[in-house]
Amino acid sequence: MYKKTGGTLKIVTISLLIALASFKMYAGGFQINEHGAKAMGMGGAFTAIANDPSALYFNGAGMMQFYGTQIMFGTALISPFSSFRGVAPKIDEYKTANQVFYPSHFFATHRLNEDWSVGLGFSSPFGLGTKWDENWPGRYLALETSVQVFAIPVVVAYKPLDNLFVSASFVYSFANVKITRKNPQTPFEGDAFVSLEGKDNSAFGYHLSAMYKPLKELTIGASFHSQIEYNFEGTAKSTGAEQLAARLPGGDIKADLTTPMNLAVGVAYDFMPNLKVALDFQYIGWSSYDTLAVEFVQSGVRSASTRLYDDTYIVRLGAEYGITEDLNVLGGIYFDNSPVANERINPSLPETDRIGMSIGLDYKLTKSLGLDASYLFIRGNQLTVDNSSEYYAGTSPFNGTWNAGAHVFSLSLSYSF
Amino acid sequence: MIKKYLYTLLFIAAGFFAGCEDRTELTEPAAQNPNRGQVDLTKFVSIGNSITAGYQSGSLFQSAQEFSFPSQIAKQVGTTFVQPLVGDPGTLGRIEIVSLSPFATQYNSTSGTPLNIGYSLPYNNLGIPGALLVDILKATSSGTSASGNNPMFDLILRGSGTVFQQARLLQPTFITLWIGNNDVLGFATSGGVRPTSPTPATAFAFLYSQLADSIASLGAKVVVANIPDVLAIPFFRTVGPQMAMLIPWRTPGLPGMFYQKHGESAGTTYIDSIGLLTGTVVVPLTGSSYAPLLGQATGKFYRDNHYPALPPGIDTTKPFGFHPTNPWPDALILDADEIVTARTATTSFNETISTVAQAKGWGLVDFYSLLNNIAASTFTGGTKYNGVTFTSMLVTGGLFSLDGVHPSSQGHAIIANEFIKVLNTKWDANIPLINVAEVPGSLYFAKQNINKYLYPEYRNMNWNNLLF
Repeated sequence: MYKKTGGTLKIVTISLLIALASFKMYAGGFQINEHGAKAMGMGGAFTAIANDPSALYFNGAGMMQFYGTQIMFGTALISPFSSFRGVAPKIDEYKTANQVFYPSHFFATHRLNEDWSVGLGFSSPFGLGTKWDENWPGRYLALETSVQVFAIPVVVAYKPLDNLFVSASFVYSFANVKITRKNPQTPFEGDAFVSLEGKDNSAFGYHLSAMYKPLKELTIGASFHSQIEYNFEGTAKSTGAEQLAARLPGGDIKADLTTPMNLAVGVAYDFMPNLKVALDFQYIGWSSYDTLAVEFVQSGVRSASTRLYDDTYIVRLGAEYGITEDLNVLGGIYFDNSPVANERINPSLPETDRIGMSIGLDYKLTKSLGLDASYLFIRGNQLTVDNSSEYYAGTSPFNGTWNAGAHVFSLSLSYSF
Repeated sequence: MIKKYLYTLLFIAAGFFAGCEDRTELTEPAAQNPNRGQVDLTKFVSIGNSITAGYQSGSLFQSAQEFSFPSQIAKQVGTTFVQPLVGDPGTLGRIEIVSLSPFATQYNSTSGTPLNIGYSLPYNNLGIPGALLVDILKATSSGTSASGNNPMFDLILRGSGTVFQQARLLQPTFITLWIGNNDVLGFATSGGVRPTSPTPATAFAFLYSQLADSIASLGAKVVVANIPDVLAIPFFRTVGPQMAMLIPWRTPGLPGMFYQKHGESAGTTYIDSIGLLTGTVVVPLTGSSYAPLLGQATGKFYRDNHYPALPPGIDTTKPFGFHPTNPWPDALILDADEIVTARTATTSFNETISTVAQAKGWGLVDFYSLLNNIAASTFTGGTKYNGVTFTSMLVTGGLFSLDGVHPSSQGHAIIANEFIKVLNTKWDANIPLINVAEVPGSLYFAKQNINKYLYPEYRNMNWNNLLF
C-alpha cells in the first residue's frame, strides 16, 4: 500500500511541475491568504482540512469537525520587498522602503448541537502597502500606497449527512485606502505632491462552503467567497507651487473598488495515519478590478486608471506530518499566478508570478491549548517589462526590471473549552 | 520507505533554500558604450553659444545645465562631459514666474557660485552664452570678446586660450558645433538698433570656413547645426499679438499704433491690429512692460534707458504709441524691413553652414526647419514628442524657457534627439533616443505672488544683461 501511494505522490509532483513550467509570466493581486499559522505552514492548502478555527476563513463547513467552543487568535508578520531598475541610462536600482505589516486574525466557533455550529471571525482578506523613495523615477505612478480591508464573517454550519458538512457566512467588511504620488508640473520646475485618502465603513458579502468525506482517508472541500463592493469616500490634497494651486486636484473624492470573488476546491488525503497531504486549487475573480476610478466631487472630474486584471488562480500543495502525538511538522508550496498583464504592472503593487514555500510547526501545549508557528517565503519571478502601458509622463512607458518577494512569519494560539 | 520520505524532505529543503536567495541584485545592467558604430564619443566636445551652454531663462544655472543638449547626449551614451556648472539660481538675473494668470515674471536678484572653476582641463561644454562666430576663433576673455565685456568668457575659458584652442587640447573624437545664432539675434532682439545690422554674410562665410578648417584638422567626427528663423521663437511672437487684442483700437481717429522706424525721430508709420497679430512687424519681449502704457502720456521708455534728454521731435505729453510725436520706440520693434534683413542673413548663414558641412563630410541638424514646423503647428494642435505637445508659444508651448529665446530642458531633449538621429543615420551609432516626456520642467516659480498684469510682465528686468 505504501508503494502505491508513493507512486501517486510522484505523479502529483510531476504533473504539478509540468503545470508550473507552462505558466505564463504574469504578476499577483493584493489578496492576503495568511489567516492562520497552520494553514500558512501548509502552503495555504487548507480547504479540505480546515481543522482549526481558521476554518471560518478557509472553509466554514470545517467547523463541524470539532465540538465545544474553540477560539483562535494570531497574527502574520509580512515583510515584503520589491525593487525596480529602469532602462539605460536610468539604471539605478530602487527598492521599496522596509515595511512590516501585521494582518491579524481572530476566530471563535461554538458547536450548538450535533448538527449545528456557529462562528464569528475577524481577519484582513485584502491589503497592500508599498512605499518608494520620493524622488524615484516612478514617483508619478506611486509613492506610498496602502489598502486595508477587514472582514468579520458570521458563520452557520450544518451537518446534513454524517460525512457532509455545509456552511454559510454573512460578511461585514470595512476598508481604507491611501494613495500618494507626485505629479509633474512640466513645463514648470518641480513636482506637485498628491495624496488621496478614503474609507468605507460598511460593505457586505457572503461565503458558502462544503466539506465531504467519501472515505475515511479522503476529504474534499469547496469554499466560495463573494466579491465585495466598496464605495470609498474621502479627500484629496495636493501641494505644489503656489502659483499652480488652483490647477491641482483637491477636495472630496469618491472611488469604487470591488474585491474579487474566490472559489477554492481542495482534496486532502491521509497517506499514513500521521501524514496528510492536501492539494488546493483557488480561483480568484480578479477581473472585477478593471479600473481604479477616482471622482472629484466638486469638479466632477473623473480620473481613471486602467487596471484590467484577469481572473487568476493559485495551486497549493501542503503536508502535515505527525512526529509525536502532540507535534506536527508542516510544509507547503504554492504557485500564485499573477492577475496583471506585464504591461500593466504598476509600482503601487509590483508583483509578478509568485512561488510560496512554507514550513511550520503545530504543537499542542496542553490538551486544550495549541500553538502554531510557520514561516513562508514568497519569491516573485524576476520580470522585465519592455512594453509597459503604465505611462510615467506623456506616452513615456515605465519599462524596467522588477523583483519582488516577501518573508512572512505567522503565529496562532488556539484554545478549546 | 522512511528513507524515501527523507529524500523527499531533503529535496524540498534544498528547493526551499535555493528559492529563498534574494535575487534582486541580478539585474545589474551592462555599462553603456560611448564607442558606437563608426563614431566614438569617448572624448566629446561641444562648441557653441548659450544654447550649447544650457542657458535658460536668462541665466546659466546647474539644474538647467544638466539638461543642456550635449549633456543629454553624453548621458545617453555614458560618456564623460564636464560643464562649467553654476549653482542655482545661477548667474544673476534668472527669470522666474510670479503669477500665471495674469502672467507675470520677476528676475531673481541672488546668484549662485561656480561649482567647478578649478577643473584642471578645459570643459567639454565650450558653449559660451553671448558668443558670436568670431569669438570662437578670437576671444580668450571678456575683454577680447566681440562685445568687449561678456563675463561668460572669463567664467568658461578661465584665461587659457580660445574656445578652439581649448577644444584642441581635449583631443576630441566627437564635436558638436552650433554657432552663428547671435550673429543675427543681436540685431533682431535689439529691434535692429544694437548692432544695426547682422554680421555681414561674406564675413560670416569667411569666418565659418576658417573655423571649419581648424576643426577639421582635429580629425574628429563633427555634427553642425544651422540657425533658426528669428521669428520662430516666442521672444518675437508674444507681445505683438497680445497688443493686437488688448489695445483699444476703437479710439476714434486712431488708424493704428505709431512706431519709430530706424533713423526716424517721430513715428510717421503706423501698424494696425491685423499687422501686429500676423507679424507684419514684431515686438520683442523687451516691449512687454511698455505695452500696458499705450495711450498714456508717458516717457517711461526714455527714463528707463537713461536718455540724457528726450530725442528731438519726441513729445511725451502725447499718448504713447497713439500719437506720431510719442511713437513706439525703434528699439522695441522689428519692422518689416528689419525682418527681411534678419531673414536674409539667416538664410545666407545657413547656406554657408550647409555647404561647409557637406564639403567636410559632417553631419547637419536642420533646426531652421524643425523650429519653423513647430511654429507652423502652433495653432493646429502643436507637435508631439513622446505624448507631450509642444508649440512655439511662450510658457504654455513647453519648448522655450522664460526668456523666450532659449530652449527649456525638454526643448534641449528634442534638440539632443535631432543630433542623435544624425549620429545614428550617418555613423550607425544606434544611440537610444531620449524620452522627452521624462525630462523635468525647468520654468521656475518666484517665491512671492504678485498679481494684476495684463501683459507678460518682465518686471525689473535689465534686458541689457541678457545674453543669447
